[in-house]
Amino acid sequence: MIFSQIFDMVDIGIVILDRDLKVSNWNRWMAKHSGISVDQIVHRSIFEFFPDLDTPSFRRNHKSVFKFGNFAFFSQKLHGYLFPFKANRTLDSDYTYMQQSCTMGPLRDENSKITNIYIMVQNVTEVAAYEQKLIEMNIRDGLTNLYNRRYMESRLADEFERHQRYREPFSLIMLDIDYFKKINDRFGHQAGDEVLKLFSDLIVSTVRKVDIVARYGGEEFCCLLPETAIEEGILLAERIRNQTEAYRFTSKDNSIKVTASLGVAELRKEISTAEDLIHRADAALYRAKATGRNKTVSMTQVKG
Amino acid sequence: MTVTHEKEFTDDEKDILQEIMNIAFGSATADLAEVIDIFVELSVPDIKVIDIATLPDFIKGTIHTYGDTSIIDQKFWGDFAGSSLLVFPTGAARELVEMLMDNTSHTHLEKPMVSLERESLIEIGNILIGACIGKISELLDTFATYSPPRLINDITNGYDPHMESYDPSHKAILMKTLFKFEQKDLTGLLLILTSQESIGWLKRALLAFMEQYE
Repeated sequence: MIFSQIFDMVDIGIVILDRDLKVSNWNRWMAKHSGISVDQIVHRSIFEFFPDLDTPSFRRNHKSVFKFGNFAFFSQKLHGYLFPFKANRTLDSDYTYMQQSCTMGPLRDENSKITNIYIMVQNVTEVAAYEQKLIEMNIRDGLTNLYNRRYMESRLADEFERHQRYREPFSLIMLDIDYFKKINDRFGHQAGDEVLKLFSDLIVSTVRKVDIVARYGGEEFCCLLPETAIEEGILLAERIRNQTEAYRFTSKDNSIKVTASLGVAELRKEISTAEDLIHRADAALYRAKATGRNKTVSMTQVKG
Repeated sequence: MTVTHEKEFTDDEKDILQEIMNIAFGSATADLAEVIDIFVELSVPDIKVIDIATLPDFIKGTIHTYGDTSIIDQKFWGDFAGSSLLVFPTGAARELVEMLMDNTSHTHLEKPMVSLERESLIEIGNILIGACIGKISELLDTFATYSPPRLINDITNGYDPHMESYDPSHKAILMKTLFKFEQKDLTGLLLILTSQESIGWLKRALLAFMEQYE
């Protein structure tokens, strides 16, 4: 029979369940990916083999499809997967389990009565990995792997709103590598790039996980520090400055001396926009540059 | 019944459809209580035959009276085809999470609230729409295939009622129902829009429905 051939031929998982959630049938694809043959699973409860499926939501949807003949959707975005099958390594993604898009729908007998439901399981790991990669590419800077300026600005806007509501402290550091142009001129652009990468790694390893480090432009960087008052922000800035000064930057056989200037600002009542906060930190950074470099300046040291 | 243009809808036909929806929603209420364990009250549906040209504005106008909303949009096709919009006031999502999440499982602790809210809105939207469309389809002796529901947060730029492809001189049938979750003070709005292509079929199905009783 042509129709029954399709069941086992397609590159998609098909599970057929009865009203009591017992497996009536499952196709070759399901057997292959689960390692459970149709003979082993048929007439047994699906939950015996996949206990994690036994959620109120799954039971609700199963009931709904039986009652109303509607469909239920288990999207990859919301659920990741229904059946824990091993993922083939795709695009260096870190998915341990195959990402799935699953649909549940009704099956009727000749009197149009719903007697079973089917679940179709589609492997979407590759698409999900591509999407993940696109998202990463869209929010990160290619050279340093830090967040890019656009992402930083959108996060800053979120944090600004949160501050308006909850009034938790929030600080921001602007950092700039001193005499970066000279590094490029003397050691070449590759060495310059190397310094940018090492400096980025150094910042990331110094800040907390919740802090957001972004490449703001050229050799200018920015750290968003949620729940951080300016005093702690200054301490952190100083730590980054000291570590930069102490760190041995090397590119090929060259040892390169690098220092940085930093400006720190804190969100306060008189600061009415996110741009204004950046502007304050920038002004502090400018002061640090103008008064000798390799130093941290707080916005409190700069006249408004 | 008088002979009318294929795309016109007579008052008689409107009355039959009204009757079918009353029966359908009555039985949907009972079954929903069993499926989601919540008693959902559905108001008597209001049926409008509306010019397609005025539809987008009508939908926007109706929804805007609700203020900030979360909207689930789901298309369905078959003999009976169209799309449905389920409109919840903002804040409903949080209540749905509380209603649906099982406190014995720990999934609700692992996921951020925003995704739980999305999940609950989409799941409940899918079931409510499925219950209503499913019951109407059953009475009209057909069945529908559904597209995945989508969550729209901003109607002004997120929702495309797909009306551009329709002939604006034609009409669409719009069914509007209010629903209320009994234990909670939670109400919403359900709009079902019948696609232009299925009006011809719908007229025949309504006639067939009546003939059972003649």
